[in-house]
Amino acid sequence: MMQGSISNRIRTLRFMNGEMSQAELGQRIGLTRQTIAAIEAGKYSPSLEAAFRIAQVFKVPLGEVFQWDVEATPLKAS
Amino acid sequence: MSYREKIAWLSLIAMAVAYGPYFMFVGRGPGPWEPLPHLHPLGLFALVSMVRMLILGAGYLYLRLGSPREERQPLDERDRAIEHRSLSAAYYVLIAGMILVGCFMPFSSTGWTIVNAAIFWIVAAEVIHYSVVVASYRVQASS
Repeated sequence: MMQGSISNRIRTLRFMNGEMSQAELGQRIGLTRQTIAAIEAGKYSPSLEAAFRIAQVFKVPLGEVFQWDVEATPLKAS
Repeated sequence: MSYREKIAWLSLIAMAVAYGPYFMFVGRGPGPWEPLPHLHPLGLFALVSMVRMLILGAGYLYLRLGSPREERQPLDERDRAIEHRSLSAAYYVLIAGMILVGCFMPFSSTGWTIVNAAIFWIVAAEVIHYSVVVASYRVQASS
């Protein structure tokens, strides 16, 4: 299976949108401040719907908010 | 710490304070009340349940008054995922306990020993439920 991790630019995008608070972002997409903080810290992966909502708030494509970082996996000897 | 994590801690504390001493008392072995029916253990259980309800009631009131309104939002998707995970874990504990109590204990125990064992597994399932809730919020806490 392909290994990887999800990273995000929510903190940067919040800063670029007038230092929007986590609470305000959460309120606009129906999540709690703690959930936004967990997403920002990479400790919780949001649903696809929530991810799209976040991108919609910042008016950017989904790929500008979340990135899938592929980790190089060593090839197994057969 | 989120409001829901505080509620989970409160529930754990209430159970520890109420049912901890109860199970230590009944766990010492069969008492003189062993044959069913006997109202003494039932009264004791009712008492500890009332203690638990009082702790929960006072705790809820304290947390409700002490937390800002925005902290008490409806469950969001992460809260629901945590709730689902914790209830799944508690379900397996409850099923295992009920199989033990219902299928095996009748061959070796009687009366209030079986009743208390059933209560113990119900409480154990609740403890697992709230413990998983607390652990999940702790693991996902950003700081």
